[in-house]
Amino acid sequence: MISHRDRNAQRISALDERAEVLRLKRGMGIADARAMHPSIDIVEADPEADRRLLEGLADWCDRYTPLVALDGADGLFLDVTGCTHLFGGERTMLDEILTRFFHQGFDVRAGLAATPGAAWAAARFCGDRIVAGGEEEALLAPLPLAALRIEPEIRASLESVGLRTAGAVMAAPRAPLARRFGATLLLRLDQALGRLDEAVSPRLPVAPLSVERHLSEPIMLTADIERLVSLLARALKSDLERRGEGARMLALLLFRVDGAVSRIAVGTSRPLREPVLIQKLFHERLAALEQDIDAGYGFDLVRLSVLSAAAFDMQQADLAGEAEDSDADIALFADRIRARLGEAAVLRPVVVESHLPERAVTTVPFSEAPQRRAPPRQRNTPPATVFPPERPIRLFRSPEPIEVPATEMPEGPPMNFRWRRALYRVARAEGPERIAPEWWRRQPGEEEAPTRDYFRIEDSDGRRYWLYRQGLYGASEVPPRWFMHGVFA
Amino acid sequence: MAMTAVARETVFALRRQIAKIEGTLPERLAAPAGTRPDARADTDASGIAPERTPEITILRRGVAVASPDAFLRTGVERLDTALSGGLPKAALSEIHGLETRDAGAVAGFALSLTSLILRQEPHLPVLWIGTSEIFREAGFPYARGLHGLFGIEPEQLLFSEAPKLVDALWIAEEAARMTALAAVILEIRGCPQRLDLTATRRLHARAQNAGRPVLLLRQAGEAEPTAAPVRLIVSAAPSASRDTIAGPLAGSIGRPAFTVSIGKSRTALPGQFTLEWNPNEHAFEERTENPVAVVPASGRRTHPAPASGAVLAFPTVGSFAAGDQPSRPQRPAHISPRRAG
Repeated sequence: MISHRDRNAQRISALDERAEVLRLKRGMGIADARAMHPSIDIVEADPEADRRLLEGLADWCDRYTPLVALDGADGLFLDVTGCTHLFGGERTMLDEILTRFFHQGFDVRAGLAATPGAAWAAARFCGDRIVAGGEEEALLAPLPLAALRIEPEIRASLESVGLRTAGAVMAAPRAPLARRFGATLLLRLDQALGRLDEAVSPRLPVAPLSVERHLSEPIMLTADIERLVSLLARALKSDLERRGEGARMLALLLFRVDGAVSRIAVGTSRPLREPVLIQKLFHERLAALEQDIDAGYGFDLVRLSVLSAAAFDMQQADLAGEAEDSDADIALFADRIRARLGEAAVLRPVVVESHLPERAVTTVPFSEAPQRRAPPRQRNTPPATVFPPERPIRLFRSPEPIEVPATEMPEGPPMNFRWRRALYRVARAEGPERIAPEWWRRQPGEEEAPTRDYFRIEDSDGRRYWLYRQGLYGASEVPPRWFMHGVFA
Repeated sequence: MAMTAVARETVFALRRQIAKIEGTLPERLAAPAGTRPDARADTDASGIAPERTPEITILRRGVAVASPDAFLRTGVERLDTALSGGLPKAALSEIHGLETRDAGAVAGFALSLTSLILRQEPHLPVLWIGTSEIFREAGFPYARGLHGLFGIEPEQLLFSEAPKLVDALWIAEEAARMTALAAVILEIRGCPQRLDLTATRRLHARAQNAGRPVLLLRQAGEAEPTAAPVRLIVSAAPSASRDTIAGPLAGSIGRPAFTVSIGKSRTALPGQFTLEWNPNEHAFEERTENPVAVVPASGRRTHPAPASGAVLAFPTVGSFAAGDQPSRPQRPAHISPRRAG
């Protein structure tokens, strides 16, 4: 028995068959129930877990139709329009769904109708019924008002005027009903009867293309999955060719026998349709996920869907049959690395207009980087400065504090410094190069960052470093601090 | 006479073919010095007088048969001859730094080589793979600095940061077989167990097949068995002062300078070189003198600046076919016969 808290009282929110035999009911207070049967076992409700379970079921229902929507806390809508013939008709399909849920240990009510409203009512009030198109009125008429999916307040007020069944409401004149009980009632009624269209908004975006394979014998081995992926990719290729597109994002869905669904997504840097390449990408992804995918008793349905596609520009291969396209090679290489090691595994630097060294270059993942321009050899723009400031070849992610015991001049370079517990003697120094903070980027309440004076330093062994002093001597109470920011060649 | 010449040609061609197939077989061609101009300065690298007799056996190992464009010429005559033509282009090359703090110099030297490679392949990108550890310890490559110093455009750079060494090696192996990359730089720290002879052999084989160089930077690494034909040990050298119209500017820090020593090479004996990178011309220059006392002249020069002091005449030991200068670091070896004579 599961309890939940409702208006300051613990009440029964769900109960099993044995508890029902004891004449306990939903909504009954826990105190009353305990008084009746002191030995009952009560568990606190966990709506989050229920939600997760429902989403897991929704994932599993993906095998019947891509359009699966959650309905409240305890229902699922499956838009099976055009899917039923794949499973041998409406009746067979409904039976199969019910049987499979039963084997997974769920007690499920299902209804099938031409409108979501009628199906909802059929599932909740008739149980396992298929309503043919046009029979909605006959189905709803004898049902109580709750079958209309209306608010409890409206239901209560309808019942107070003697309208107790849906049929009675249907028979009543519409205008007074709308005036008295609001538009929602008539909307729900019209939706259930099919006079108004109701769209079921799917939980997940529907893939524009997908191919799948049902397996009579579940597969477990990664090698088998990969082989299936290449089979599916081959089937996908003709579809993509017909649409003139290539896949930018692919997902592999593995439906396990016991209901768990694994979803493996792979992104590509440029539109892709070649089965071998798709298989290679999934090979890396599966290798990376080896530990995470639990095959259990095996997968009985494997689906490959294209989540997003983009126009595929055909390229003429040269007469040797091989187009010289090094960019494509690199894109594919980057995709494989990303598939195995994550989005940020291949980075490309992008130069930003800023004089703060750490902001002047950012790195972006390869897929987001702007496409490489044509050889940037021709220089029309004149050099910005005659002597561009010298910049280190390596920059520390965050400047590392160093200890500077003494400087020759207050504003000058250090004579020696201690970095990472080692003492360095400064042989030569150049500088300072003053870099002020970017005041135009400062947030209103923020404190102004101190200016930095950068020095190029060569130590006694010939290594060259880039140090800076943050702040000025005498400018504030806090003495300036020194940092190591980069290394020169 | 003509018959013998033709016969000799044939024998040479056959031997060459055999050596090419066998790869590492010592090539003991008794060719006269005139027919083989590239065989000239090998004696130079050996340096030490008592080992002069078996010189050909030590030094000619398979490399003589490779074509000259299989090598990346550093542009420094002495280093190129010591490596018998330059750094092998289609191979794994190791560049070691003795300490992590040398990472700047090691990376700088590797990037200078990359810059030389990019001269021939100007539009291909360069991939730099590193473990998270080394990027954290030694700093992340800074595209602006790379552009300013080595002329590598930011669009040409690809970085890959791998959380673990295994991943870095995997990326490197995948990248090494690609012909669409101008060069692959793999940077790691220390001497991990993973990067053993087998791993380097795999990298080397892939680099050979693709015909692209793979530079393995090992910061704070010891010399370990490796399949790479060449191992260079790089550390920073004090730079020369900046050149101005009025002469060198005292106390200033000029061009980057590196001390390069050959740790392993099939063809060369250990030697040490001080190279200076010219960021304007993107070329190496060798510095043969004390950086503070003598300032190297700018531009390409064929003759090094004259050393201070009087030049004494004495016979050089051995024969230098092309009349090369004897190498400086090996002076002490030459001193003893000098004094004796």
